[in-house]
Amino acid sequence: MGSNGVVMSQNIPEVQNTPAISSAEFVKLTIFNDFADPTDTTVYTFSSAYKPEIIDGQSYTPLGGMLAVGSQNRDLRVTSGDTIIALSGIGADNIFLVLGTKIRGSEVLISRGFYNDQGILGNTYTRFRGIITSYGIQEDREGNNDTFSCAVSASSYVNVLGNRIAGRKTNEESWKVFNPTDTSMDQVYSISGVNFDFGGDASSKRTVSGGGGGGGGGGGGYNDRGRYQER
Amino acid sequence: MAGLQTIINKCNALNIDRRKVVGIQITRNEVARTSETPTFQPWRMTLSMPASLAYQTNRDLIEALDTLDRNTPEVVTFSDNVCLSWIFKYQGTMTSIQRNPITVQSFVGNVLTLTNLPAIGATRVLFQPNDLIQIGNKTYPFTSTTQVTRGTGTTVQIITNRPNILTGSVVGNTLKYGNDCEFKMFCPNMPTYTLVPGGYAQSSGVTTNNALLSFSDDFNLYEWVATA
Repeated sequence: MGSNGVVMSQNIPEVQNTPAISSAEFVKLTIFNDFADPTDTTVYTFSSAYKPEIIDGQSYTPLGGMLAVGSQNRDLRVTSGDTIIALSGIGADNIFLVLGTKIRGSEVLISRGFYNDQGILGNTYTRFRGIITSYGIQEDREGNNDTFSCAVSASSYVNVLGNRIAGRKTNEESWKVFNPTDTSMDQVYSISGVNFDFGGDASSKRTVSGGGGGGGGGGGGYNDRGRYQER
Repeated sequence: MAGLQTIINKCNALNIDRRKVVGIQITRNEVARTSETPTFQPWRMTLSMPASLAYQTNRDLIEALDTLDRNTPEVVTFSDNVCLSWIFKYQGTMTSIQRNPITVQSFVGNVLTLTNLPAIGATRVLFQPNDLIQIGNKTYPFTSTTQVTRGTGTTVQIITNRPNILTGSVVGNTLKYGNDCEFKMFCPNMPTYTLVPGGYAQSSGVTTNNALLSFSDDFNLYEWVATA
């Protein structure tokens, strides 16, 4: 997979062996209205095209007010990357889109479509897939010129996954979150703060209380409590 | 009074800009690479005005421009002024009687297909490059990019300057040609005006106060394609 969840080996004939291309950006926002119900979604689509286009059964309106789509990293290696989508705040319901919906956490899919010489849309290719992480509304008034713009920032899935903390603490409480009957870590509290002599005689001296200053192999013990396992 | 129409009728010079949105890069070995964003390709016209309009006789123009301001479009044409009607005059060889029955069969991308053609010689030119065509009551004109001859078929195809930006069906619509076509324009920079003393009139020893209008900038007209 590419940096933004795109298959890296994507073949795009429209840009091969030609010095001139004609393309437009298509943005699909899927807003999850209820986190407990992933089927309860509202989809907004808009594009920089000159007319409505239908992609995968979804109509992308050119009047949605898209002003700009930020740059997206394209790397051979898997790297994270953010992008910004700027929307016009005039006329369209884009301010409502930002303020009146649960836009943070919604999924954004940016595709690029290629036009032929007759101005007819051909194939489209996924360019960015990520999650909206923040938004902003701006009004610029200078003299008699007043402009409004909304901007949403999206992080690619790679970035989202990179910020995720995986694993569990090796203590009783954390261990029973997923399985309350799991007693594997019940004794962790009792040995917390105690150095365990892994090299010692099991029948005579299993633990060394206190800082473990004496005893052969005392340095091998460690406090396991509260330790993260990050992946 | 129609403000922008008057500006067109009285302008000093007309600049027309129909350039597309294109990114161009020249590589190290000087190969040009281009990337185009398909847009409505709106007409942009820049009109230079003389500083000779008298205030007393153009107050209606001023009021019309102030009313339009920078956000209201106006439909303008180049046909109602004999000094301008030659600019977009139809260059083909059809008479109005011959071209009036022509209708649109389809308009896909930038290919406009016409039918109900007149029974005229196959080599007769229907459209010359830069001939304006407007479909039915739709607002936006297109130009023919190539010379189109009658041929022998029941239809002809015209490659237009921009793709079909019209909403709704255009099938069966008749056409307007040449300077009968209209442009829906607005002026995003709507210049302000200065009254410069001058243009006095004197009659029977009485001088009438007057001033000449000096506009702050050229009029940059932009096609209003929001409701195409």
